[in-house]
Amino acid sequence: MMGQFVFRNLFHRPVRTLIGVMAVAVEVMLVITIVGLTSGMLQETAKRIEGIGADIMVQPSSASPMFMFSGAPMPVKVADKIRELKYVEYVTPALLQFNTSGGVETIWGIDPETFRQVSNGFVFQEGRDMEGPDDMLVDDWQAKAKHVKVGDTYPLLNHDWKVVGIVEHGKAGRIFVPIATLQALVGARDKATIFLVRCTRPDHTADAMDEIKDLLPTNKVQPVKEYMSMMNSSNIPALQTFINAMIALAVCIGLLVIFLSMYTTVLERTRDIGVLKSLGASKLLIVRALLAETTLLAILGIFAGIGLSYAVRAGFLKLFPTLSILITPGWMVRAGLIAIVGALVGASYPAWTATRKDAIEALAYD
Amino acid sequence: MGITVTIQTNSTGTSEPQLKVVEPLLKVENVWKLYHAGKVEVPALRGVNLDVLPGEAVAVMGPSGCGKSSLLYVIGGLATASRGKVLVDGNDLVTMSDAERTKLRRHKIGFVFQRFNLLPALTAKGNIAIAQYIHGDGFDPHRFDVVTKMLGLDGRLNHRPSEMSGGEQQRVAIARAIINEPKILLADEPTGNLDTKNSEIVLEMLRRLNKDLGQTIVMITHNPEATTYFDRVVHMRDGVIVDGIPAD
Repeated sequence: MMGQFVFRNLFHRPVRTLIGVMAVAVEVMLVITIVGLTSGMLQETAKRIEGIGADIMVQPSSASPMFMFSGAPMPVKVADKIRELKYVEYVTPALLQFNTSGGVETIWGIDPETFRQVSNGFVFQEGRDMEGPDDMLVDDWQAKAKHVKVGDTYPLLNHDWKVVGIVEHGKAGRIFVPIATLQALVGARDKATIFLVRCTRPDHTADAMDEIKDLLPTNKVQPVKEYMSMMNSSNIPALQTFINAMIALAVCIGLLVIFLSMYTTVLERTRDIGVLKSLGASKLLIVRALLAETTLLAILGIFAGIGLSYAVRAGFLKLFPTLSILITPGWMVRAGLIAIVGALVGASYPAWTATRKDAIEALAYD
Repeated sequence: MGITVTIQTNSTGTSEPQLKVVEPLLKVENVWKLYHAGKVEVPALRGVNLDVLPGEAVAVMGPSGCGKSSLLYVIGGLATASRGKVLVDGNDLVTMSDAERTKLRRHKIGFVFQRFNLLPALTAKGNIAIAQYIHGDGFDPHRFDVVTKMLGLDGRLNHRPSEMSGGEQQRVAIARAIINEPKILLADEPTGNLDTKNSEIVLEMLRRLNKDLGQTIVMITHNPEATTYFDRVVHMRDGVIVDGIPAD
């Protein structure tokens, strides 16, 4: 009977219910999408780094796992010293430049020859490798996102680049230019952000790392395989804070809308509450009925929010093909729990006010 | 305390009248109810005394603002008396906590209101069944069938209040009030929102409840004709009962 009562109450005012459901849905979608976007981007970046085929990464000691934010503090000459080590076969320097004009992009300045040695080269879908100082390679996702083709001019960093090849995605970055040109453009002559090292054999990685650590004791030396596990929001400075802030914002939106919705519900049902009291309904029963209604509303909102998340992801990927949004069951459950707790908190005060209503005044309410 | 006369057959086969003392089901003793309008105390009841015996049907009449509804709400435990005693089936409502009064209402009192006060989201069936649910014994299909048939509701049970006439809604409200077999039924102007024909139907149903099932009823009304259906009429004025006379 209580289930029927709650269910019928929920659908007695369909517009109000729809607004409440949508508020929870937006809350859930925000949580899932923001987390999915950050973790998706991190994982996708990590996969691309792993896809290079290098065994070891050498960075400055204070470097961020997000290379593009690390600047270019290491002299390129260091690569020559690393190359001389016993267990090192190839080394390639890379200069990474974060660019936000005309989109969010990381430009990889590479030395084509040594990069090819470390990575076994790109898989070309069209065009050829870089030869001239203004040549540029883009991966297929970037080409699709920016609608560029071989032969096009691609303006970046106040410089006109010529797209000479489109390569298969999954290796390092999405935009590649000659390192020397990029160094000159960003004022980092002879500097690199990272060195990628390929060992003589994969099982020589530990030995090679020891050698590099002896050579560069102040630098961060780590196997590429470890990088995947490091690429999560807790290792990226301020990112976890940003995610938490976004989740808190989403929860606030949901909580306030549910509060308002249930508060107006209690006002609208003042007389009903008086009737329930006249029938001998306890305060607990009245609270239970309202919270059960809120929970049902939240559950509907959660399912709508999950659906909305997939719709938003599809929309985003259509508009921005280079994005990666990772929707995981774990975060669906967490977003759902956050939404339910938020909704129940939002409904608590209205439910409490309902129990405190004077039955006689409630029965006389118009 | 009430006194009734019963005829009992003795061992020799002859019948002789015997006096039997019957405790009132409802006993109101010197009840005051004061409302506060800012710092001013407004007395709605000024020392009301009223006894209602089990199976009795009492109509309370009086002008607007004389305290009829306040008396009904105090008897029903929806409001607390400021002073005095209100005994319902031996339980003093004045000394009870809010939770205890709620429990007493759940098990021993049924309400019928002027404005029907059905829950708009529920069907007629739902409105009646929810009283059974709150009562705690769950849905009793037999009792439900008996009550709804008696009140002529069997064809309207799946309709919502907005789809029913005033008379039908009030019959649903009566069904809801009596579904748990309360000791006392309190009706607050039950015909106040009904036309003459529906008023007569509702009053006749209340009379049948009283005569056929022995339901104790206290009804507030403005309608002088309504009093003809009841055993006793009590008049109120300025917060006190001014008399208590038989209707006939």
